[in-house]
Amino acid sequence: MTEMFSTLFGQNDAQGPPGSSLGFGPGKPPPPLPQNQVSLTGQMPPQHGDEGPPLRKPGAMNEPFYLLRELPVGTELTGNTNLITHYNLEHAYNKFCGKKVKEKLSNFLPELPGMIDCPGTQDGSSLRSLIDKTPVCGNSFSPLTGALLTGFRLHTGPLPEQYRLMHIQPPKKKSKHKHKHHRTQDPLPQETPSDSDPKKKKKKRDDDPDRKKKKKDKKKKKNRHSPDHPGLAGSQPNSNSLR
Amino acid sequence: MVIMAEKFDNLEEHLEKFIENIRQLGIIVSDFQPSSQTGLNQKLNFMISGLQDIEKCRQQLHEINVPLEVFEYIDQGRNPQLYTKECLERALARNEQVKGKIDTMTKFKSLLISELSKVFPEDMAKYKAIHGEDAPS
Repeated sequence: MTEMFSTLFGQNDAQGPPGSSLGFGPGKPPPPLPQNQVSLTGQMPPQHGDEGPPLRKPGAMNEPFYLLRELPVGTELTGNTNLITHYNLEHAYNKFCGKKVKEKLSNFLPELPGMIDCPGTQDGSSLRSLIDKTPVCGNSFSPLTGALLTGFRLHTGPLPEQYRLMHIQPPKKKSKHKHKHHRTQDPLPQETPSDSDPKKKKKKRDDDPDRKKKKKDKKKKKNRHSPDHPGLAGSQPNSNSLR
Repeated sequence: MVIMAEKFDNLEEHLEKFIENIRQLGIIVSDFQPSSQTGLNQKLNFMISGLQDIEKCRQQLHEINVPLEVFEYIDQGRNPQLYTKECLERALARNEQVKGKIDTMTKFKSLLISELSKVFPEDMAKYKAIHGEDAPS
């Protein structure tokens, strides 16, 4: 913007006193021009072949503004309006920008088996390669008949380790769950100071039913030992079922 | 819109079935037993019929345009929703920039007309006669 102003008022700045950034110092109008002098717009040379809105009616009507154009129509959709609201995208905006979107592809497709978070270029499974090297797919899919199926007779026994891993990969969700489970069985790692993220910690604690159980158990033990609440442990009817 | 959602659901369902079939195929193959041959043959043919079903879905969804940039996100193992998020954020940022420019230019126009009216009152009177008094806001 400032560049635009400086180009627009570059001449004025050069002539006028410094300090008036827009070239219009308050209370310092230049002396009015005599009537016979060429007026403001008259100083500008006419521009032929200019692509723009059509000029106003030529002739006496627009005098002395022979370069005067139609003002842009106000109803035109511009960046002046909030385009997200205009296209009813607030819901999408709040959904995607309101909260943190998880980074990994497996968060978007949690049910998909395999290591999908690895770059597709590593194992040649990238979608980009479908465009760069479009597969030849002129033939239609037809079921395999008895003769063709003989080609798929396999040897008995397990696959070598390196191939087996490609096929059987525990779904990520399950492995995560297991991990959590192991953690909760051993309460010590959660209490270590290295676990620096307090939000995560809280969430895990809230989500984990095992942890709650343990807490309750601890409470119970405390209550049993404390002389102030002798009857509280007995007052919990479900306390045995928790164990 | 509802019909479109149905088409997507249809494709999604077929893809899920196909992936699950492939997963089971992998399990059968990973520790193959002679008794598994029939199951394997079934799975192979189910895979072919799955591909046929997906092929049929293609006809229903030919008018769908997918931005190529999304592929980059998926290929890098990133959540494609991040692309949508970044698009929306970029759109809003550009929207705000343009609005800022428009507002500034409107103010500039207003100031210019007001100051020109002081310096060239007669010309500006003619100008206002043509354009109306709407200009200075």
